[in-house]
Amino acid sequence: MTQHRFLRSARITAAGLAVGAMLLTGCAATANKPAGTDAAANAGAFLTIPREDMGTFVQNFNPFAPTVNPMVQQSIYESLLIFNPAKGDTVPWLATGWKAAEDGKSITFTLRDGVKWSDGKPLVAEDVAYTFELQKKIKGGYDYLDTVAAEGNTVTFTFNKPWSPALYDVGQLTILPKHIWSALADPEKDANAKPVGTGPYTEVDSFQAQSFVLKKNPNYWQPGKQKIAGIKMLAFAGNDGANLAAANGDVDWAPQYIPNIEKTFVSKDKEHRQYWFPATGAMINWQLNTTKAPFNDVDVRKALSMAVDRDQVSTIGMSGYAKPADCTGLSGNYETWKNAEVKDNCTWTKLDVGKANDLLDKAGYAKGADGKRTLKDGKPFEFKISVGATSSDWLSVANVIAQNLAEVGVTAKVESPDWAAVVAGYETGDFDSGIVWSANDPSPYKYFNTSMGSATVKPVGTKTFDNYHRFGDATADALLAEFAAESDESGQKDIANKLQEEYNNTAPLVPLFSGPEWGAFNDTRFTGWPTEGNPYATLSVRAPTTVLVLTTLEPRK
Amino acid sequence: MRFILRRLGFYLIAFWASITLNFLLPRFMPGDPVSRMFARSQDRMQPEQIEALRKLLGVDDRPLWEQYTDYLHNIFTGQMGVSISRFPTPVTEVISSQIGWTLLLGGTALVIAAVVGNLLGILAAWRRGGAVDSALPPVLVFIGSFPYFWLAMGALYLFGVVLGWFPIRHAFTAGLEPGFTWEFIGDVGAHLVLPALTIVLVSIGGWMLGMRNTMIATNSEDYITMAEAKGLRPGRIMLRYAARNAMLPSVTSFGMGLGFVVGGALLTEVVFAYPGVGYQLLNAVQGLDYPLMQGLFLTITAAVLLANFLVDILYVRLDPRVRSN
Repeated sequence: MTQHRFLRSARITAAGLAVGAMLLTGCAATANKPAGTDAAANAGAFLTIPREDMGTFVQNFNPFAPTVNPMVQQSIYESLLIFNPAKGDTVPWLATGWKAAEDGKSITFTLRDGVKWSDGKPLVAEDVAYTFELQKKIKGGYDYLDTVAAEGNTVTFTFNKPWSPALYDVGQLTILPKHIWSALADPEKDANAKPVGTGPYTEVDSFQAQSFVLKKNPNYWQPGKQKIAGIKMLAFAGNDGANLAAANGDVDWAPQYIPNIEKTFVSKDKEHRQYWFPATGAMINWQLNTTKAPFNDVDVRKALSMAVDRDQVSTIGMSGYAKPADCTGLSGNYETWKNAEVKDNCTWTKLDVGKANDLLDKAGYAKGADGKRTLKDGKPFEFKISVGATSSDWLSVANVIAQNLAEVGVTAKVESPDWAAVVAGYETGDFDSGIVWSANDPSPYKYFNTSMGSATVKPVGTKTFDNYHRFGDATADALLAEFAAESDESGQKDIANKLQEEYNNTAPLVPLFSGPEWGAFNDTRFTGWPTEGNPYATLSVRAPTTVLVLTTLEPRK
Repeated sequence: MRFILRRLGFYLIAFWASITLNFLLPRFMPGDPVSRMFARSQDRMQPEQIEALRKLLGVDDRPLWEQYTDYLHNIFTGQMGVSISRFPTPVTEVISSQIGWTLLLGGTALVIAAVVGNLLGILAAWRRGGAVDSALPPVLVFIGSFPYFWLAMGALYLFGVVLGWFPIRHAFTAGLEPGFTWEFIGDVGAHLVLPALTIVLVSIGGWMLGMRNTMIATNSEDYITMAEAKGLRPGRIMLRYAARNAMLPSVTSFGMGLGFVVGGALLTEVVFAYPGVGYQLLNAVQGLDYPLMQGLFLTITAAVLLANFLVDILYVRLDPRVRSN
């Protein structure tokens, strides 16, 4: 009896669902309207941006959260200054100016007048001092920072040693309101669901797991620059969904990696769609574990580097979007810092199979009768390249390198477990070689410090979070110390030139290519995007420069 | 009653074993959440911050047994801790705000697939060699053997992008205010069609074949011949005599399926950007987010065990043979 009833009701349900589905089809067909093109619709439209690596959002706008919601540090909170890697210039933001002390042991920032928090209270120097106090307490770092003193409208940062890299380090931290955060019992654990910031779009609206909107800050200090009605973020669990939305014209900004972008994105609407991938990302390096033979031999590192066809690496691995490295090791982020002498007389980052063979022969790694080289102890010249399984682009890069190396008689095996396992190996020094990003900062100090500064070298077995390849160099140490103590930028450039010479001599790692910063846009509804011709910012939505884009865009009329 | 108590005891032991595994497995994975997070953030974090972050997130180096007793205590007091990948959101909040969508999607797909699949199986077996029996099984097996990801993307492209019949992402139109209005329910329904349809397509073949095969065995039983000889209506024989007895394995599968609804729609949620917990699970595993992983696994375990327990009880009702031993 029960079953009979069950089956009968099931039949009814099935029929109902079928009818329902048909009805819904009708509704859905009208829901997909094309984006409006008339001025009035554009003026009220939200700038729609996909977030490709968060399947859902949680209402948490705490900037201390490790996986912070999008736009918290771009549109809600602002920093003292903004460094724009696309142009290499620095834009004063919450501070109008700054001055480093003669001895390099302090910097004084002057705050902009008339900046208000979104709740109407004025931004004061104590806010800045408090932010650093909180940041040090919750997240750590800033070990060089002794005191942060607020006085009138100036804030002075004092260091425990001359430390010039501090300018961008402190200058780019987003500032929080003391009157809100000091009232919280557990600032690091508060969801900060209704954030109060100085940024252009701070008011959280219609928050859902799959999308949320940020509306205009009613008290913004540049009201003339809030030309869009608001920002709408959409959640996607991967690039595919976000790419589909971009191809379909449902989003205005597409900051994620889009394969074959000319065909899949631009060709659908050539008039309105553009992309720009400036090489301002971190340098992507092939790191060789220099605690192991034969990677402790500079000639081997240079020879292996010469065997790599970087054009092939870029075209096959990175769809041709990446810019091959040169001997300075610096990515496109540091174009103004590059030593022309080193860059123009570059040898070991250019493909030269003949020279690579010569160098290896000379270094004592002879080719056997089978065309394969052996190490000095007679073992075959064989090692692994470890890359995380999910990074398909870097995996192809590793495969290209392995093929290139076969031509000089060196066998490389690509190993691709989960990233967690790969990184665990990097951290303890238990790896042969791997493909690794590098530090990316406005000043090149950090890159050189983590690629060849002894201070960052830890013994094998001890965990380290940078300098996985464990290479330290005394000459570089001296230069790095000089650099940190030099507060004058032209003086810094001289030292940076010497650092590049040292880098060129020692080849601490094998630089491959400057990581491109992905970015594409659709200007059907909003105009004023940064482009190669007008590089006032990059097209990234997670960079400090993002706020420059948000305050420049305007609805199409 | 004794039967139910005995089963209950068994389920308690199974529950303990699985929560212990939930605790141990993530901790045997290489790496720890903080260095994992550091590696993911690439150059956006300072190495000096790692210690502070470990403390903040409560990643501890205490002995395993101490963590284990804490973990047990927390489970029974309902504290699942704070998610690491979505810090500082509590695990319960991450799960509870999204699990509804997963249940809706997985539940709808399961019910449709089971009902339609079983009906088709009954029909196919009853009219053995007929049109339904000869045409449908190969077609459904063929569709079911496609990689799900591929099928879903194909359906998304064809029905969503090219034809524009269905929305291509999310559980409802962004900006719509959730509530019990016809507009909202209709919108949710429209968004549900494609993801649910693709799950139904790949799973329906299994239901149909399973039902068809048991039905064929039942059809050759003497009591069916007896019923036919009595001159009962064929429809009555098919549903009340044959199908009723062939139903038992399907009830078991339905119970199992119910349990797997929570974790089963992972790929669907990724393809259709559906805001459920499936993607959260993937993310938690990749980010070594122990608390969230434990919370999700616990939910899945509880769902599987509960569904099995209900099926057990239902069995007592459906199959008198179970009662006797």
